[in-house]
Amino acid sequence: MKTKSRTAKILIGLVLVVLSFAYLLPIYVMVITALKSTQEVSQGQYLLPTGQPQWSNFAEVLFGSQRFRSEMATRLGNSIIISFSVTALCAFFGGLSGYYLSRIRTRFSTVLFILVGIALYLPYQVVIIPLSILMAKTGLGQSHAGLIFSYLILNMPLASVLLGTFFLAIPRELEEAAEVDGASRIQIFFQVVMPISLPAYASVAIIIFTQVWNEFFLALSLASRKTQTVQVVMAEAKGTTLVLYNLQMAAALIAVSIPLLFFLFLGRYFIRGILAGALKG
Amino acid sequence: MAKRRRRHRGELTWTENLVFLAPLLFFLILLYGTLLWTIYVSFTDWSTMAPNYQLAGLKWYRFLVQQPKFKVDIINNLKWLILGVFPTVTVAIFLAYFLELTPFPKVEAYIRTLILYPVAMSFIVTGTIWSWMYEPSRGVINTLLRLVGIDANLPFTTDPDTATYWLILIFIWQYLGFSVIIVQSSFRTTELQELVEAAIVDGASRLRILFAIILPNIRGGLLILVSLLLISTLKVFDIVFIVTYGGPGIATDVLALNMWITTFQQHLVSAGAGLGVIIFISSFILVIPYTIYAFRKWFE
Repeated sequence: MKTKSRTAKILIGLVLVVLSFAYLLPIYVMVITALKSTQEVSQGQYLLPTGQPQWSNFAEVLFGSQRFRSEMATRLGNSIIISFSVTALCAFFGGLSGYYLSRIRTRFSTVLFILVGIALYLPYQVVIIPLSILMAKTGLGQSHAGLIFSYLILNMPLASVLLGTFFLAIPRELEEAAEVDGASRIQIFFQVVMPISLPAYASVAIIIFTQVWNEFFLALSLASRKTQTVQVVMAEAKGTTLVLYNLQMAAALIAVSIPLLFFLFLGRYFIRGILAGALKG
Repeated sequence: MAKRRRRHRGELTWTENLVFLAPLLFFLILLYGTLLWTIYVSFTDWSTMAPNYQLAGLKWYRFLVQQPKFKVDIINNLKWLILGVFPTVTVAIFLAYFLELTPFPKVEAYIRTLILYPVAMSFIVTGTIWSWMYEPSRGVINTLLRLVGIDANLPFTTDPDTATYWLILIFIWQYLGFSVIIVQSSFRTTELQELVEAAIVDGASRLRILFAIILPNIRGGLLILVSLLLISTLKVFDIVFIVTYGGPGIATDVLALNMWITTFQQHLVSAGAGLGVIIFISSFILVIPYTIYAFRKWFE
């Protein structure tokens, strides 16, 4: 399927230019704008990088100032606590459920699988009202536990199905050998299945982490001032500081830094997770 | 031990059920519990901060349908469904095919990374960046156009008639890379590769191979991609919230944003629950073909 004619080369060049422009421009604009002074963003000089990078913009965004009240440092902490906790809990419980769904074939487990399958695409809009009532009634909404718990139940179906799909691909002989040696299912799971599925766990963890880190609707509706996430505070900053595009871009850079680092350094797992989620689920 | 080893496949002991099944059951009961709770709330008469569980039938559904906003939402959501999905899938098919044909592996690797990075970004971040790109007087695109001598002064999201299309463009930008890798991976089955090799030997043109051989053989992958994109556009909330907040006026409002404002700003909780139920039923219908396909694969 390979080709090397002249028209092909022109076409390749054209695609390269168009896509580079469309996908590098927004990133370029975000980075150069984040380093500009407020004067520069309000009068001319929109596209060239600045001569004097304003590193203090990042400090201002992180710790707040008179004109930028939505300080991000604590929100960054909130997002980190919430996303990492949900990821760990989801991977653990999702693994157990995925193992159940992939190994047990009874009528009951089939019904459960169908329920999980439907819950995969449950819009958050249809669970948000009861969740906010529960958060208020139990007082969980005042701490990180409320958001962690809500994200956990909503991401469990995805984690179970993804891990279950990976488990289906494991050769059954391994488990049968352990069973002959007298190991119980629980031992088999923790000592045989889990260790050889670590790459799968990594993929699932990255997918769940990114999803929770980037989630906005639930965070906006459930978070109290003390548990606000990065995404919510960014939305707030955009609403209140419409003209300070430089600070907004600095905030955006801080908000994407963690998932983007995962993407750049663990891209393999990232892509495998996306594909598993899409193609096998 | 010997007894346990001989037990019937699929039977679990009490402890094993507790470890493997209990968490799953617990989360499922909670999820479906909240779902049923929302459906129930939509039939009650709850329209203030304080809960009111008195049944009111279809009162709040009637209220919703009569609002001018609802019609705008339906039209906008349809625009999102059609224009957010089909252009994305079409471009993704051609781009994925193009990447497969490229004789330079480095070009392929570069483009894949380039268009995939938005997958790691939130719509809130993307929306913030694109707000600046779209800014009518000082924004990036209009400044660039002015540089090359076009004084178009495009109004982008400030024009009620076209604002939704500019929002959809952000969505396409964000989801293109995701779509390309899904299409690309469904190209890469051995049966399909063999069919393509055979067609090349027969002297078929590249476009003919794409339409006559590849497309009919990746129906499964396309079904999945279309379904995922349909769901995402149906639930679209973040982009609209951050870029226009439904404005100008209510021109870019969508069901999910209406649901949030109705519930959390106006405290018409029963009406908000009704919108939630409408979104749920629509998404349920949209994924039926995909769900059937996925179940068949799982139980193969």
